[in-house]
Amino acid sequence: MSETTTDTAAKTPVTMTPGASGPRRVLRMLWADKLAFVAILFLMVVLLSAIFGPMFLEDMASKTNLRARNAAPFELERGFFYILGGDALGRPLLARIIVASQNTMVIAAGAVFGSLIVGSTLGLIAGYAGRWTGEVIMRLADVIMSFPSLLLAVIVLYMLEPSIGNLVLVLAITRIPIYLRTTRAEVLEVRERMFVQAAKVMGASNRRIVFKHILPVILPTLLTIATLDFAFVMLAESALSFLGIGIQAPEITWGLMVSQGRQYLTNAWWLAFWPGLAIILTTMSLNLLSSWMRVALNPTQRWRLEIGGKKNG
Amino acid sequence: MKKMLGKRAVSSFVSLMVLIVLVFFLSRLTGDPAALYLPVDASEAMRENFREIHGLNDPVLVQFGRYLSDLVQLDFGDSLRKARPAIDVVLESFVWTLQLALITMTLVTVAAIIFGSIAAFNVGRPFDRFASVLSLIGASAPDFWIAIVGIVLFSVNFGWLPTSGTGTVWHWILPICVLFIRPFGLILQIVRGSMINALGSPYVKTARAKGVKNRPVIFVHTLRNAMLPVITVIGDQAAALLNGAVVVETIFGFPGVGKLMIDSILQRDFNVILAAIMVTAIAIFIMNILIDIAYALLDPRIRA
Amino acid sequence: MKQTTLLAGVLLATSALSPAFAQDTSVTIVLGEEPDLVEPCMATRSNIGRIVLGNISETLTELDVRGDEGLKPRLAESWELVDDTTWRFHLREGVTFSDGTAFDAADVKHSFERAGSDQITCEISRYYEGISITPSVVDDLTIDFKTDPAQPILPLLLSLLTIVPSETPIEFTREPVGTGPYVLSNWEPGQSITLERRDDYWGEQPAVSSATYAFRSDPSVRAAMVQTGEADIAPSISAIDATTDMDRSYPNSETTYLRIDHAVAPLDDKRVREALNLGIDREAFVGTILAEGTQIATAINVPTTLGWNPDTEAWAYDPDRAKALLEEAKADGVPVDTEILLVGRTANFPGATETYEAIQSMLSEVGFNVRLQMVEVAEHEQYYSKPYVQDQPILVGAQHDNSRGDPVFSMYFKYHSDGRQAGIADAKADDLIERATAATGDERVALWSELFGYLHDDLVADVLLFHMVGHARVGENVDFTPTIATNSQLQLSEIGVK
Repeated sequence: MSETTTDTAAKTPVTMTPGASGPRRVLRMLWADKLAFVAILFLMVVLLSAIFGPMFLEDMASKTNLRARNAAPFELERGFFYILGGDALGRPLLARIIVASQNTMVIAAGAVFGSLIVGSTLGLIAGYAGRWTGEVIMRLADVIMSFPSLLLAVIVLYMLEPSIGNLVLVLAITRIPIYLRTTRAEVLEVRERMFVQAAKVMGASNRRIVFKHILPVILPTLLTIATLDFAFVMLAESALSFLGIGIQAPEITWGLMVSQGRQYLTNAWWLAFWPGLAIILTTMSLNLLSSWMRVALNPTQRWRLEIGGKKNG
Repeated sequence: MKKMLGKRAVSSFVSLMVLIVLVFFLSRLTGDPAALYLPVDASEAMRENFREIHGLNDPVLVQFGRYLSDLVQLDFGDSLRKARPAIDVVLESFVWTLQLALITMTLVTVAAIIFGSIAAFNVGRPFDRFASVLSLIGASAPDFWIAIVGIVLFSVNFGWLPTSGTGTVWHWILPICVLFIRPFGLILQIVRGSMINALGSPYVKTARAKGVKNRPVIFVHTLRNAMLPVITVIGDQAAALLNGAVVVETIFGFPGVGKLMIDSILQRDFNVILAAIMVTAIAIFIMNILIDIAYALLDPRIRA
Repeated sequence: MKQTTLLAGVLLATSALSPAFAQDTSVTIVLGEEPDLVEPCMATRSNIGRIVLGNISETLTELDVRGDEGLKPRLAESWELVDDTTWRFHLREGVTFSDGTAFDAADVKHSFERAGSDQITCEISRYYEGISITPSVVDDLTIDFKTDPAQPILPLLLSLLTIVPSETPIEFTREPVGTGPYVLSNWEPGQSITLERRDDYWGEQPAVSSATYAFRSDPSVRAAMVQTGEADIAPSISAIDATTDMDRSYPNSETTYLRIDHAVAPLDDKRVREALNLGIDREAFVGTILAEGTQIATAINVPTTLGWNPDTEAWAYDPDRAKALLEEAKADGVPVDTEILLVGRTANFPGATETYEAIQSMLSEVGFNVRLQMVEVAEHEQYYSKPYVQDQPILVGAQHDNSRGDPVFSMYFKYHSDGRQAGIADAKADDLIERATAATGDERVALWSELFGYLHDDLVADVLLFHMVGHARVGENVDFTPTIATNSQLQLSEIGVK
């Protein structure tokens, strides 16, 4: 398995941008789609906060100050970080959102990449390998799909510890079937196509066919699902907090913040609104990025971005 | 087709058994139901008695053997807490979940295909952008958040809809709307992406180049080719709904299987958990068969 | 699609579908959780008791929670001590069960034996553990209870014993029969339970003719239901939502505290425990995270409890003194830097997470190394009850509810060295508990009082925090005042209809 994973990682960039003449071209194509450009910028900000936020703001984000309890947003008298208001314990929401971005990103990215890699690998095998292997893998997917994710969460978090790593494990497992089934379905379709058959006839190895011919075709769909799943995982994590399982205070994630702020919806809407907005904006950025990528990666569509930055054909 | 069905039934039965074994043993690792069922100040004698009555003192393997032999006679055991057959409890609530899932998925599928196709035919135009962004915002907001805002807005402030519960048609509107949003956004995106791909494929291009002006023909043709990944996602979303919409059911006090499941899990009511899993697994199995049939109909090359 | 929703909403509004509100005397009560059973012998469980107690089933005696009459007669008209160990109860005449049979002493005997049977796990029986009680029928309307050892509060204990007819089988029933003013008429699992008024009730006919119970786990939904008129009473809503003039606050007899396991260092050191108490600014919680009206606790029982000690003074907030005590302990080699695990239960009460986060933050300020972990109920039970996890010092945040007027329902479990949730093993405390349990009258009051003081001041047994308040939302068409017992019982006869 690890071998295939490294292979995917090593080879995809090559297949993804055949003949790319470096970052300048990518940048130009990005500039051509202004929305995608903004999305990238936003994601960079999120990434930077995730990496550096906790380092600088940890203390401020966890120091309670009951005088600033539920402080209203857009007031600067308590300092810049109170611009989004204070939470139920008077901690500045902006600082908390920045600090929480780390956990949120780690959980979402961990779960999405984990399930994407495992799921699509299994899906490729199921679609391409023999009938028996495929059958076993599909039944495995059925078992996972029918295993209630809440029960899985309770079992894992009860037996192990309610830590972030274990939560990633739970979420990743529950999301495997969706990649597995999609990949298999696409493989079944693609492998019958002319060019794959041709490659076969010409004696290409299975590995070559899978990575050179099949994967590039199904990758856009997988990436679309992955970006959307990013949102799903953030929300699933939030729902788990809502139900009382999953990440708990004093750890913070955006999902947990929304879930905790929900009880104040009628009195202090900002507690749940800002972290919710952070989730929505991140998801949207990812999605805009993914639709840009779908065009940029598709040799027959790429021209849309290359003709003088004219938007969207 | 019959042969395929038979094979699927056998293999699904195997998955179901694997599932039961997993759930049976794993769930028993998560604490003592006696400690949860009885009040914190109950004595050890009471606990012991409780475990004895419910057979929790026997080795787990013995418990499993007993469970299986009862199961063969279609006895799913009693609910630990409700003192009645677990299967009754589950079926009662599954009926609600089934209705909710069917109605929601039908609405979602129809709406997502219509709006997704329109978006695909108008790539980059305002409608496309608007539909994408709107569906995405909806799909990105936590459902409990939408549910509570919905109640505050439509029930408390405007007084148009009942807050929660069951009874009239009006009671169903809010839960369905909340459940609708997320799969709608997701499926719309898939329909759109898949349609764009299909529209770019040689045969559609050829057809268009040849001057086939009949839009419905192009639409149907493209849709047919674009449906495979869409159906997969629809299946997954429907399966998720059949497993119960925990959050929505919890907030709206909707007596579905999701609420039953979370309660039973938190209370370690093992027999109800197992019965619920079996019922939903069978429902999902039937749905998967329908999906396979749909695959086969759409693409004769696939023989699952 | 959004437009369609809106459109449907508009159509709805114009079709003038205002929530049906019946002008008869039926009421709807919205509760947090559905009971698994409506079994009389489980009535000490709050979600069952709120429906059963005083409505479907009655008890021989009844604690007055609205006034200060103490123990009042209900199915028993009077009782007396025949000798040291025998209580005699004279039963009310002319009482019938909802199935038509007459109520007599044999029913009481059967009810008692059924509750204690090892074939079913009735919760009520835990209050009779360790005492041998033998009921014997004297005549139709007289019954004796012989106890060993002497049981001075037997009449109080019998305020928990719900009476069922002697024909009731010894298994859990879903069709309870009782002598109360109401009878279970409909139960739609997952949705609602309906009680109807009986015509042949022995006492005064209550104003409410029928009551429907609905179940919603989200407190803001419960509050919204009363606001929209879908329900009349929501006995428990969140303090955060309690902002309208329909909302009443009431002490709900819950006490929040941090249980300390004295067996693990550094919590075995009294100075460290004092520092814990001094390091928490209890005042700061009241009116902020916790509702206005929350009382600072000096005992695990509420002030209305027998023997509550008015002389114990709440720990003042003194971070400097706390730091000094920690330094002192450290100088003596007490491992005060050890990480202490603070375990809280999610959604234990509104604002639970915030409360524990604030406590963690306060304790860290004075120099404790505290890690907070919020857990679900099953995991919490692992920490709360014996055998304890002892691989590190642990503070267990918990709530205890005793609205029954006597500390006996708390003390053994929480402080006797054999108690399942006791953090201490102290010979003097054990002795006081045992003596007080057996004592009567003023002696009982004095002993409990001494125990309360000893636990709080001398032992520093735990970190007592707050006596909590609950909030009820009551609709405009009914008249209802919540009491300290509203968590565990809600008698429909106490609801007035406007």
